[in-house]
Amino acid sequence: MGALQGRTEPLTVGGTRLTLRNGLLAAPLLFVVAFLVAPLVLTVVISFWRRSGFGIEPDFTFAAYAAFFAGTRLDILQRSLLVATEVTVLGLLIAYPIAWFLAMRTSARTTRLVLMLFTVPFLVNYIIRTFSWSFLLGRTGPVNTALMAAGLIDAPLDWLLYSDFAVVTGLVASYMPFMVFPLWLALNGIDRRLVQASWMLGAGPVRTFMQVTLPLSMPGVVAAVIFGFVGSFGDAAVPVILGGTGYQLIGNEITSTLDVLHYPLAAAMSTVVVTAMLALVCLWLGLFDLRSFLGKAGAR
Amino acid sequence: MTARLRQGERVVHLALWTWTAAALLLLYLPMLPPPLFSLGDRGIAQALREPSLAGYAQIWGQSVLLGAMRNSLFVALVVGVVTPVLAVLAAMAVREWRIPRGVLLLMLLPLFIPGVSMGLATAFLFRYLAIEPSLMSVCLVNILWALPFAFLIVLTAMSSFDTVQLEAAYMLGSDRWRAFWDVEFPAIRSGATGASTFAMILSFNETSRTSLVQGPNNTVQTYIWATYKQVGLSPSLYALMTLLIVVTVILAFALWRVSGGKPARPT
Repeated sequence: MGALQGRTEPLTVGGTRLTLRNGLLAAPLLFVVAFLVAPLVLTVVISFWRRSGFGIEPDFTFAAYAAFFAGTRLDILQRSLLVATEVTVLGLLIAYPIAWFLAMRTSARTTRLVLMLFTVPFLVNYIIRTFSWSFLLGRTGPVNTALMAAGLIDAPLDWLLYSDFAVVTGLVASYMPFMVFPLWLALNGIDRRLVQASWMLGAGPVRTFMQVTLPLSMPGVVAAVIFGFVGSFGDAAVPVILGGTGYQLIGNEITSTLDVLHYPLAAAMSTVVVTAMLALVCLWLGLFDLRSFLGKAGAR
Repeated sequence: MTARLRQGERVVHLALWTWTAAALLLLYLPMLPPPLFSLGDRGIAQALREPSLAGYAQIWGQSVLLGAMRNSLFVALVVGVVTPVLAVLAAMAVREWRIPRGVLLLMLLPLFIPGVSMGLATAFLFRYLAIEPSLMSVCLVNILWALPFAFLIVLTAMSSFDTVQLEAAYMLGSDRWRAFWDVEFPAIRSGATGASTFAMILSFNETSRTSLVQGPNNTVQTYIWATYKQVGLSPSLYALMTLLIVVTVILAFALWRVSGGKPARPT
């Protein structure tokens, strides 16, 4: 590139020439900076502002954070962390064997078909799917009816709906499909010869899995953890539908704070959520090469 | 010994198939109630005995809802056109700039921000700039949400394109635009089409981000959510959900056909 440059030194930004072409290539990045990065920074700024009447005024006060970390909202934060952790662990336990199976044991055709089958429910709005759970888990719903017909219980189980159980179920069903793909990408990218070598050296299947496959799939595991955690930690619809009246997680607490027009508080809560997410992403970037989980697409 | 091992392998195989099927059941089961409930609101047994399409008929009588449908289509169209273009440009930036990691991270960032936080942040921006919420703000948020997915799809398609072909085109006298349009684009067209379809499906099914920047403009999804919160669910809402599920499944199948012919594993 450098050798092709003319005699006059062209205008450069970070070693990249400022041309119409590079301007075009920068468009998507500017788009994300303008409509995501800048707004997130603005959210942080607003979290320090003051509430005045129905609006907000520039200020530098920790009032919103004080309101957040005092009293019941701290409990909500704790419960959200707990629920998100449960959902992520359950999602991982469900998705990992499937991803391993599709990467290691099935034919290319079957893999494609099954992955497609996981894509469809991921694409259908999870809110629509969550409405269904409130019917499926209800007192007169099919789950209770089936359990009673099987003679396993005498009366309908009340804790199936409007409970932590219901919220966790709804969140797992919403975000688990998200977790299958990074896991499959990571497992699929593993060089099979490493697995064969371990086998030739006398390691059994369990030992090979624990010492070769699992460590090599960690980039996918962490990516899946991030997807499961981001989704379930910030979700605002599932707790409303399946948690019942008064069930608050941080996501729907933010929207109900917006309903009473307390913008700085909503901004402060959102900032805490986003900070937690970015910390996870930074941890991931520190541990692994970002391109490793993209598999072939990122390998350049 | 080998026979026992083979049998063990068979058991593992069967167990994993069962596990996968159970997970799929967990995901597909919730798609059944909306079509059933759309046929009547006096229980499933009644709905199956005397199915009524009244819920579907009611959709066409509500001007708010028809407006929401028009909005959803408009947004999906804009998202379906703009997102793949941005995705292709970003994928080219990954290839040509010396900071592939930075480009990747920035493009994937929308994946890592929870929906509420993204909606809230963009709502703050529009408010701060005194821009009234409009269909344009809805489009922007939806493009932002669909962009990382479209980007990954295009990136995958581009990874199998050998840039030597571009060099050949330059040698034969093409400028960069002609080389891209005549040589590279045909090779990544299925990726771009896939990205466009995926982006449209995502925008059809988006609620949490859209609802914070919609202003007075409902999409079908925000209409369903708002009506649920205000008056609860009804056969006509279930009818709407059924239509959305059907459209999504058809588009997903089309997407699958479009991306067909390529091996799922790197060879």
